Amino acid sequence: MSRQTLYVIILSFVLLIAVIAFSFLMLIPKGKEYRSLRLESKKEIQQLELSQNRYDITYNRLKEVQSQNRHTITAFETTFNPERFEKLYKKEFQDLYLTEITASDTNGTFKVYEVNATSKITSPQSFYTFLENINKSDWIIGVNFPILFERDENMIRSSFTMKVHNTTPSSDEKKSEKN
Amino acid sequence: MKHSFITPRPKRVISGELRLVLFFFIVTILMLVGAYAFLWYKTYDFAHERHSIAQKEASLQASIKEMQSQIKEIESEAKLAEQVTTDNTVMKESIRNLFDLVPENITLSRAELDAKSLILYGTTPNKDTYEYMLHAPLRSIFHRTYTSFYPIENGWYRFVSSNYLDEETIEEIQ
Repeated sequence: MSRQTLYVIILSFVLLIAVIAFSFLMLIPKGKEYRSLRLESKKEIQQLELSQNRYDITYNRLKEVQSQNRHTITAFETTFNPERFEKLYKKEFQDLYLTEITASDTNGTFKVYEVNATSKITSPQSFYTFLENINKSDWIIGVNFPILFERDENMIRSSFTMKVHNTTPSSDEKKSEKN
Repeated sequence: MKHSFITPRPKRVISGELRLVLFFFIVTILMLVGAYAFLWYKTYDFAHERHSIAQKEASLQASIKEMQSQIKEIESEAKLAEQVTTDNTVMKESIRNLFDLVPENITLSRAELDAKSLILYGTTPNKDTYEYMLHAPLRSIFHRTYTSFYPIENGWYRFVSSNYLDEETIEEIQ
């Protein structure tokens, strides 16, 4: 046996051992890790697609709900302006005075205003018109009991309470939040 | 003097056969290392991708939660707005119906409307007119009605009519 052949045999043996060791110690565990990660990744991608679909459905639903209730959303977000309210509804009442009540039943989402109004005509028609118009107003306003009507010569004095529902904090509340 | 018929070749430590074998060995090693490098890179890539997917998933979930809460809020606002509108309309109709009950010859001077009571002040030409034309319909609406009459100079009567609903009825209406 020549020396060259001996080298070849020794080298082949060393390489065989090295290949086996490398395969069992490094390549196969890495392959297993790769396969398991690929499976997990596939599952996660499927889960992400599902979530994306859910997101799309929820987003479309939100847009639909927003477009259906645009007026309501704006009305809830519009800060109540007593001066504008008085100006808008003075045509139904000869005099309209608003007095804000610091009500104990305010739950944080709405403010309570007391309205003192004097109507000009002898029938309560202006009050009915007011109740009709208030439903189309820029704010969400509910007229509450007690309601008082009192004859004053040729006029009817009316006094009632109304609840203005508002989600926007008032300027005073904003100031206190800042402090 | 020549001892060989062929020209002598230079003698090398690594023969041509051994070089060939070494070449194959190197190719084998490179293939193994290449496979390992590929697996290592893909594993790293998957780990990175998983991290990014987890972030996207968390962000999507948070957005979905936020949007669902917005939908809930809008729906509850819409419900409240509808309730308020209905209450205003019902109130308008109730007041209209109430004033329609008052006959021509009875004049009201004051009306106090509350959720469970109605107090009317006014004048009537006589007690019978009040009794048949106003008190009877009021009695059909309210559970308890009390009336006081005060005679005035022109022979007419000033009256105070207090009408009350029982708690159960109010709960039923609500």
